[in-house]
Amino acid sequence: MIEFKNINKSYKLGKNNTVAALKDININIKEGSVVVLKGSSGSGKSSILSLVSAISKPTSGEVIVDNKQISKLSDRFASEYRLNNIGIVFQKYNLVEDISVEQNVILPLIPKNLDSDLVESKVDTALDMFGIKHYKNSTVKNLSGGEQQRVAIARAYINEPKIIIADEPTANLDEKLSLDFIEIIKDLKKQNKTVIIATHDPLFFNLDIVDKYIEMKNGSII
Amino acid sequence: MNKYINLYLLEYSINSLLRQKYKNIFITTILTFLIFILSSMFFITSSIKNELQFSVESLPEITVQKLISGKHYDIEVDRVNEILSITGVNDATARVWGYYYFVNAGVNFTLVGIEQFEKQYKDSLQNLVDSSKGFDESNAYIGQGVKEIMRKNYFKEYFNFILPDGSLKKINIGGTFKSDTNLESNDVIVLSKENMRSIYGMSEEYATDIVVKVANPDEVATVAAKIKLLYPDTRVITKNDLKVSYQNIFDYKSGVFLALFIVSLFTFFIIVFDKASGLSSSERKEIGVLKAIGWSLDDVLKEKFYEGALISVFAYLLGVFLALGFVYGFGAPLLRDIFSGYSELKTAFELPFVLDVQTMVLVFFLSVPIYIASIIIPSWRVASMDADEVMR
Ligand SMILES: Nc1ncnc2c1ncn2[C@@H]1O[C@H](COP(=O)(O)OP(=O)(O)OP(=O)(O)O)[C@@H](O)[C@H]1O
Ligand SMILES: [Mg+2]
Repeated sequence: MIEFKNINKSYKLGKNNTVAALKDININIKEGSVVVLKGSSGSGKSSILSLVSAISKPTSGEVIVDNKQISKLSDRFASEYRLNNIGIVFQKYNLVEDISVEQNVILPLIPKNLDSDLVESKVDTALDMFGIKHYKNSTVKNLSGGEQQRVAIARAYINEPKIIIADEPTANLDEKLSLDFIEIIKDLKKQNKTVIIATHDPLFFNLDIVDKYIEMKNGSII
Repeated sequence: MNKYINLYLLEYSINSLLRQKYKNIFITTILTFLIFILSSMFFITSSIKNELQFSVESLPEITVQKLISGKHYDIEVDRVNEILSITGVNDATARVWGYYYFVNAGVNFTLVGIEQFEKQYKDSLQNLVDSSKGFDESNAYIGQGVKEIMRKNYFKEYFNFILPDGSLKKINIGGTFKSDTNLESNDVIVLSKENMRSIYGMSEEYATDIVVKVANPDEVATVAAKIKLLYPDTRVITKNDLKVSYQNIFDYKSGVFLALFIVSLFTFFIIVFDKASGLSSSERKEIGVLKAIGWSLDDVLKEKFYEGALISVFAYLLGVFLALGFVYGFGAPLLRDIFSGYSELKTAFELPFVLDVQTMVLVFFLSVPIYIASIIIPSWRVASMDADEVMR
């Protein structure tokens, strides 16, 4: 379902300096599977996530999702692709801290300009699912780290995307909350979501829900 | 689906504005102030223009002055008869008028001498003078502005004119022009011709100028040329000439003001633009996050559009509203001085209400779209770049 073909990605640093973040990457991810990307800092995990979500484009090679080459999409179609297919849980959550949980969670619904009844029911479903319904009207900055992460997950989930991406999801959580997160992954897997997690947290290294481990080093898969 | 206004987006925009409350209050205040000044200025302008148009219409069609080597002299009254014999001339009257410098206040009054039987004045006097007694030859009738100045100098019942020989002439004040009369009559004192002559030390055979009425407006130029031919020592001014020179003075003043204003308006937008184009890192990040969760460039720009429109339309409405109150409610203190000369007197006129839609539209286009553009353009630049920073 997700396929990387001979992907290279380099970033420009200044005029003549480029960093090769990904070198000749080939990946195949099946629908409904849970994939863990591991590797040390700077090995290229986040770069892979950016490519899957069409946030950035490869320097060469093809990213194919559901038989569509998403690495060549124009900005407009890339946005549409993200809106309908991808939910991202950022490492630092990237929530809007001064507004309510509900207002954060509906952000991905805004471009669709749906009726308020539909929006309300979607929000309630998502909040319920991740156990934060009672925080619906709370301001995000007043929530704890773990609660904020659940808001971020609810936001990633609200459009019911097929693919959910999480970058270092447990970096800011204690062990108990990290285990809670793993439970959430299980639920998502039950719903046949494809989940891609970039992490170097050892908690993930021996999980039976994980279908595939991809280990990165210096931009290559080992 | 596809409702015209996306209420959730609007809500997000409002929250966005509230997040930077002080900055946005500051910008709104400045913008409101600029719109207020700009529309006040335009409102005053159209009011005065209207007013001038009106008073120019009431001017004599032709005015004849005696002019020798560029200097103005009193004209012989008996020339009236010869002018009357020119074909096309309806009426000709010798006028006695001039200025009187009131030393105590440092201002000039305009003195106009009339005779009771002059029907052209009689009618308008009856309307204008705030007195039931009618015109009395021995009295003076004064404009509101004159009244104010005299009152400040303790002249309420009468006024002492200083004659050329240094002696005083005491003249009673018979009445005041109603306050809703125009700009022109403010600094005016109307007297009998006899009194005028003694104030100016002018003999019976002379007058200040001669005004001529022409039956057919198309013949004004021809008649003017005939008078000039008859009396080469005169300057013959038509209503049209006056219109043009009035308009010129006025346009010059408002032009200077407009130029100054537009410079400051542009400075404001350059500041806004400059500030905005270096979007703060958190603003950049926000745009990146929105794009990463599926917003398109259009969605981001629409959101920014709402933000800009909320501020600028609000500032526009408030600014125009305040300007209406300031100009027509309070008579535009301070600002109108720019347009109505420096004499203290000239400021004491009322601005008649003219709802100038064209002006409002002009002010709208000078403010709202420019502000919205200054908000959208920098965001557009950020939003069209790759958002991969958010993954780091
Ligand atoms: N936008 C960018 N501009 C320049 N260099 C970048 C950019 N994004 C990533 N890089 C570089 O590409 C390489 C891979 O980065 P990436 O973020 O994919 O690594 P990572 O495995 O996610 O690391 P971490 O565990 O620290 O998040 C690094 O050397 C990084 O500095
Ligand atoms: Mg990373």
